[in-house]
Amino acid sequence: MDKMYYNGIELTDDLFDKIPLDEHLSEESGYSNYSYWRSTFRTFFKSKLSIFLVVVILALSLFSFLYPVFSSTDPQQITLDVDKWNMGPNSENWFGTDGLGRDIWARTWYGTRNSLLLALVIAVIEVGVGSIIGAIWGYVRKMDRFMIELYNIITNIPSTVYLILLSYILEPSFTTIVIALASSGWIVEAKFMRNKVLSLRESEYNIASQCLGTPLRRVVSKNIIPHLISLIIMEAALTVPYSIGSEVFLGFIGLGLPLDTVTLGNMVNQGRANFMLYPYQMLYPTIVLCIITISFYIVGNKFADASDPKNHV
Amino acid sequence: MKKYIVKRSIQSLITIWIVIFVVFMLLRLMPTSGYFTRDDYLTMTEEMRQAYLKSIGVLDPPLTQFKNFVINLFRGDLGRSITVYPKLSITTILKEKIGYSAAFGFASIVISMGIGIPMGILMARYKGKLIDDLGTFYSVIVRAVPSLIYLFLFQVWVSKIFGLPMLFYKNRPESWILPAISMSLSSIAWYAIWLRRFMVDEANRDYIKFAQAKGLSESYVMKNHVLRNAFVPIAIGIPSDLLLIISGSLIIENLYSIPGMGGLLIDSIKQMDNNLVQALVLIYSVLSVLGVFLGDLLIVLVDPRIRLTESED
Amino acid sequence: MDTKILEAKNIVIKFNLRGKILTAVRNSSLDLYKGETLAIVGESGSGKSVFTKSFVGMLDKNGWIDEGELLYDGKDLAKFKTEKEWLSIRGKRIAMVFQDPMTSLNPLKTIGEQIREVITWHRNTPKDEAKKEAIEILKMVGIDDAEKRFKQYPHEFSGGMRQRVVIATAIACRPDILICDEPTTALDVTIQAQILKLIKDLQKELNMTVIYITHDLGVVANVADRVAVMYAGQIVEYGLSNEIFKDPKHPYTKALLLSLPQLGLKGEDLFYIKGTPPNLYREIKGDAFALRNPHALKIDTMYEPPFFKVSETHYAKTWLLHEKANDNLVVEKLEHNGKQKKELNKYNEKKEVLVSLRNVTVKFKLDGKQFKAVEDVSFDIYKGETFSLVGESGSGKTTIGRAIMKIHPVSEGEIYFKDKLISKKLKKDDMKAFRQSVQMIFQDPMASLNERAKVDYIVSEGLYNFKLYNDEEDRKRKVEKAMEEVGLLKDFLTRFPHEFSGGQRQRIGIARALVMEPEFIIADEPISALDVSIRAQIINLLNKLKDEKDLTYLFIAHDLSVVKFISDRIAVIYKGHIVELADSDELFENPLHPYTKSLLSAVPIPDPDLEKNKKILIYNPKIHDYSINKPKWTEIKKGHFIWANDKEIDQYKVELDRNQYDKEKN
Repeated sequence: MDKMYYNGIELTDDLFDKIPLDEHLSEESGYSNYSYWRSTFRTFFKSKLSIFLVVVILALSLFSFLYPVFSSTDPQQITLDVDKWNMGPNSENWFGTDGLGRDIWARTWYGTRNSLLLALVIAVIEVGVGSIIGAIWGYVRKMDRFMIELYNIITNIPSTVYLILLSYILEPSFTTIVIALASSGWIVEAKFMRNKVLSLRESEYNIASQCLGTPLRRVVSKNIIPHLISLIIMEAALTVPYSIGSEVFLGFIGLGLPLDTVTLGNMVNQGRANFMLYPYQMLYPTIVLCIITISFYIVGNKFADASDPKNHV
Repeated sequence: MKKYIVKRSIQSLITIWIVIFVVFMLLRLMPTSGYFTRDDYLTMTEEMRQAYLKSIGVLDPPLTQFKNFVINLFRGDLGRSITVYPKLSITTILKEKIGYSAAFGFASIVISMGIGIPMGILMARYKGKLIDDLGTFYSVIVRAVPSLIYLFLFQVWVSKIFGLPMLFYKNRPESWILPAISMSLSSIAWYAIWLRRFMVDEANRDYIKFAQAKGLSESYVMKNHVLRNAFVPIAIGIPSDLLLIISGSLIIENLYSIPGMGGLLIDSIKQMDNNLVQALVLIYSVLSVLGVFLGDLLIVLVDPRIRLTESED
Repeated sequence: MDTKILEAKNIVIKFNLRGKILTAVRNSSLDLYKGETLAIVGESGSGKSVFTKSFVGMLDKNGWIDEGELLYDGKDLAKFKTEKEWLSIRGKRIAMVFQDPMTSLNPLKTIGEQIREVITWHRNTPKDEAKKEAIEILKMVGIDDAEKRFKQYPHEFSGGMRQRVVIATAIACRPDILICDEPTTALDVTIQAQILKLIKDLQKELNMTVIYITHDLGVVANVADRVAVMYAGQIVEYGLSNEIFKDPKHPYTKALLLSLPQLGLKGEDLFYIKGTPPNLYREIKGDAFALRNPHALKIDTMYEPPFFKVSETHYAKTWLLHEKANDNLVVEKLEHNGKQKKELNKYNEKKEVLVSLRNVTVKFKLDGKQFKAVEDVSFDIYKGETFSLVGESGSGKTTIGRAIMKIHPVSEGEIYFKDKLISKKLKKDDMKAFRQSVQMIFQDPMASLNERAKVDYIVSEGLYNFKLYNDEEDRKRKVEKAMEEVGLLKDFLTRFPHEFSGGQRQRIGIARALVMEPEFIIADEPISALDVSIRAQIINLLNKLKDEKDLTYLFIAHDLSVVKFISDRIAVIYKGHIVELADSDELFENPLHPYTKSLLSAVPIPDPDLEKNKKILIYNPKIHDYSINKPKWTEIKKGHFIWANDKEIDQYKVELDRNQYDKEKN
């Protein structure tokens, strides 16, 4: 028999031998390498800005929480020495001093810590309570009517007005601000989660759980919450700039934290009064505050984009 | 369609009354010192105070107070101011203030739609390009930085650069410029960001792909399909914006000393004028409910799906 | 038919997906002749859609034509860069119809406007004239009262009508080529047949060339002059429609045709293709189908085969056609001739009622309005049988399944399982027993598994709920056994669902039901979301499990052809009413209700000769006059029930007698 060629390859007889079917290989070949979390983080960290801002947030938080450990400067230490009042930035007082001679550098870091703490507490309560109630709200049909009405009422009162109203009624304090912000914020979070849950609830895997008689507790923890985690992270991140902004606003209208509490909001408002003469007293804390709010805002949004499967391209 | 409007009207009416009721009840928690002028409060003995409170009816059961309030409301009587404009009827005060707030509010809506909408369109059209990045940068600043901070710095710096007055004077038109612009700063970003987002969402829809498959050019599809559809949710918010301009901006009216409604709320809180706080808070809430309601009516005009599904039965 | 109108040469299309390059179309060539209808057949991911989208420059933004030429009208479309170049072709010369008519039209614009704008855009026709033309086109696609309809919005049209509008839009500029991307997949069978006929008529009238992209071989047989089969991004065989259906040469084409449930015989396994299609991220060496081909040759794993000529018009890309391979060429026969049909009357002997529905009505509230999804439905399911419920979308078939599952509450009537009333609130123990013995299999394997849980948890979920295991080891053993029974490896347990293909996921769903050791399984369209080559796999599996475990099935489907092969009895449901119920054979031999007849007439047949000549009956519910004489559920013949009034029953009886007479005469 003549030799046969195809594209310069000799086609020998043994090439046409039968080979057995490998079941394992034929099953494996369709294997897809897509993973939700891997893709989310890949998309998120693809942006250099995101990495940078995450580092900024971590560094600022770490620094402000550790500052009291390695610094002995008391942020409340006032001095009667008039020369030490309203000093511009110098080698000893890096950010200068205020009208009572208090060191602004130290106050800035104590303020950052307190403001972050406040924002964090609000974020945890608001998003935490919101997600849990939202998950249940979405799942239990009977609650819907009542909750929707409640939502309409709370959100129909403009949030600033509500904030003002509550702060006016209650004594100004850390708790008041937390209550004022969280008590209107939670239902917005809950509604957001509820909408997401409603779409999840009708999906077949949840019907499957119903068919298997899975109790509500496990449905929420296994079927619902894991799908909401990315939303929860994003919402928590976005709550931070909002809380800090609200604290500044309340300070402005005279309903903020007591003046002796060191927070960025109070510092900004106190600095504003002297801005014409001593702009640095407002500007330095403001810069730190803006870095924090902007970083959280961008990170929250970037994460929201990254966690959307549509962007996993 | 009629059925929808009637149904929606009744719903809003109910919501308005629930909101009024809830806010009114919350206001019963206001510190009672807010019913006295400062001098009266200091000179009176505790017994005299109680007797006075009893005489003006604030010690009655809350429901009775609510009944009396509603009866007065229908007579057009919102009570009298206590500390801010002692003994003056609140309706008289408001009549004078509303004009200022409305004028600035209207100017700001024109400015912010005039700039924000084209900006959103350009950002969507050139998504990922320089103009989109610039727009995004602007909106991140405006949304993440607490508004008090950028409004204040805007006032101080821009007035210096352009030699414009820092405060509002009724008869100096050039002093109107800065407040009107600063009132638009955040809503420009609001319009731009949401229009961009809605347009990007629309652009991914099947019918937009089909419109492109028909051979229509990208700019034609953008204008006649994407923008047209994306504008619907924006349009729904417009009545709300128009209504709320009456309430004025709390921060800006205070910063520029504009004698409007927003500044009045802050004054009434700082001076603890319970009656004025109550009237203003209620007005704000009712305006906001009305805005949502009018927006829902507008949907009927712009979205045929609602218009027609409702008319079928 | 000899003029080439479009020529695709060695097209390679790549996508950038999650940082990796995916080759969606690998070196495919295609000639299109003027006036012909070409069908491109393939499964999801075969690249058929991407391939044709490149003809109008509509690839997604992350995709591009990497190599090759697209010759049309003296130009190479593959070289087109600017939008302007494409605008002279797209929509005007080559138009496209998309799969889902529900999302293809802008909901905020009148349908007239959406047609008119194309005419104005491409031809600069003034608005008034374009409007007149648009109305003409609407009439042409069979829309009555076109002047009035012109001003209406998409949501005022039904799915079938919307697809007509979409087609009207596509043909508005009288294109040379019309590409139809699965134009009927989203539609009900009876509507599907009408749309196919419309496209055929339009093609003749406008002298168009039509490309169909479809996975449905019934559609192909109905419409195509020529067929091209795609697998893993390549055309593997093409030829005249008859050649492909009667004498397929590529092992993939053969397997596809063989695995059609329509061709199956009751009681016998369907032919099926093992495994899953390959991953296009990797470079494919040799013949892409070799891994799944039981007759693969050694050379298949090494070199890509060339096209071998079968006839002037018929070519196939497989080494099996090489002269040296002749000895090894094993040919499956397309007909199961001579094989005896197994008698499967097991259920007849016992006739023990397992599930019983008595006058069941299910009501829903939608936007504050109540409507009855299911009305006054009664039937029994016997132990050991496969009972099928067939109806179009919105007929209430899924609702019945879910009412039995106690997911939707029953508004009126009773449901019994093993003589126990279950359509009320059950005690905890009874509920446990019920949940264990009744299980469900779902339609969409992509949606029915929790993406964030491991397969191990998914399969064990029911066991956890009722603590149906002694210890951890016992649970593991049970889960592994279930996996083995559905043909999956136990290594898969630690993986997440996204790592599996549709068919594999569906088998995980079956394992989840099996592990509970149920007696009764409701299978809600378990194969309609799967690719053709996978469907047979799942049907065989369900049949095997039924025999081994003595299961009873309620099989919900929209397509009679699938059901015929597997069911003992069939109930046909229309708008919440069961209109006819009979033994499978009886129903196919003596369909009485006009709706059943119309469903039967619309069943696609994978045989071009039969399919092209078939007559479609259109059901018009208005023929029933129930104003005085109310219909009732009547047993017209032993085991054959029908929803009819007295007058109709008399007519049906006459019809039955005549059928009987005809049969005996022959």
